[in-house]
Amino acid sequence: MSSLSARVTWRSFQAGALRMVLPGLASLPFGIGFGVAAAQKGLSAFETTLMSFTVMAGTSQMVALDIWAQPLPLIALAVSVFVANLRYFVMGAALQPHLPHLPWWMQPPVWYVTVDQNWAVNIAEYRRGHGDLGKFLGGGFVMACIWSGSTLAGHLAAGGVLSDPTAAHRLGLDFVGVAVFVVVATILFRGKRDLAPWAVAIAAALAAKWAMGGNWYIVVGGLAGGLYGAVRDLRKADVRQS
Amino acid sequence: MSASPENLIAILVMALAAMAAKGGGFFAMRWLGRHRFVVAVLDHAPGAVLVSATIVPLAQTGGAFIVGAVVGALLTRKAGGFTPGLFGAVGAVALARWAGLA
Repeated sequence: MSSLSARVTWRSFQAGALRMVLPGLASLPFGIGFGVAAAQKGLSAFETTLMSFTVMAGTSQMVALDIWAQPLPLIALAVSVFVANLRYFVMGAALQPHLPHLPWWMQPPVWYVTVDQNWAVNIAEYRRGHGDLGKFLGGGFVMACIWSGSTLAGHLAAGGVLSDPTAAHRLGLDFVGVAVFVVVATILFRGKRDLAPWAVAIAAALAAKWAMGGNWYIVVGGLAGGLYGAVRDLRKADVRQS
Repeated sequence: MSASPENLIAILVMALAAMAAKGGGFFAMRWLGRHRFVVAVLDHAPGAVLVSATIVPLAQTGGAFIVGAVVGALLTRKAGGFTPGLFGAVGAVALARWAGLA
């Protein structure tokens, strides 16, 4: 596993930001929907934008909005946001070995930009040995801006034309998020040795979705595929040694 | 521009919870170190996470999404990389819907 320099250049930051514009735009319909829902819950435009920029995790924000009532249930909010974001725990664990010498003050920005598509695109590069921290930060920054901007637009246009998701649906924009995963998975695919762990991950994810609901399926599928692949590889290695 | 102190505190709590989830795995790896089992799990975890995140929306939506996924994967392999694969996948979904697929 290659470890990377923590050096960030303006050029790489820009390159990372540019390539994440389209994946960032994928969050527009969801962001607008969240803005509309936040307005209906009584949050101001400033509060909605601030929440989107600081939390930057749409599903957990939507879950939090569900339990948003006066007096605010702070513990329930914290637990629900943490649980809804558990998939990032696995993503962060996969990222750390590539950045073992990251200074402590650079770690919170890296955690902050660990969001689905940005992580997927960058982990693929890290695994091929030419990742770049500037691109990771730039991509996350542009995604945060687009996400926050879309929730603000939704709030301002609550009930208006922007809250109609049919245009985005017609253009296939609701698929962009999934498309990023498909494309990056295709890039990462190493042939026969990935087939069985991926099949285990798929079966576990479908079972978890059926049994548990929510988005636990990403955590369950990711762990199941990872564990199966690890046990199989280590057994093979032990057999070769003995 | 208005904000109530209660709402601001709730937003701060949410932001800290999100950071705890995001940073937790990264932080835990510093302590777990380079144990060979952990390294082996992480060798397979990214791909497993990606296919897990993909399969449920594909199974739930079907039709146009499946066409988009197949076109995206083929273009990524044949046309060489991220951008053609991404644009091709989204374009294929739009075309499939135009042709009447859900």
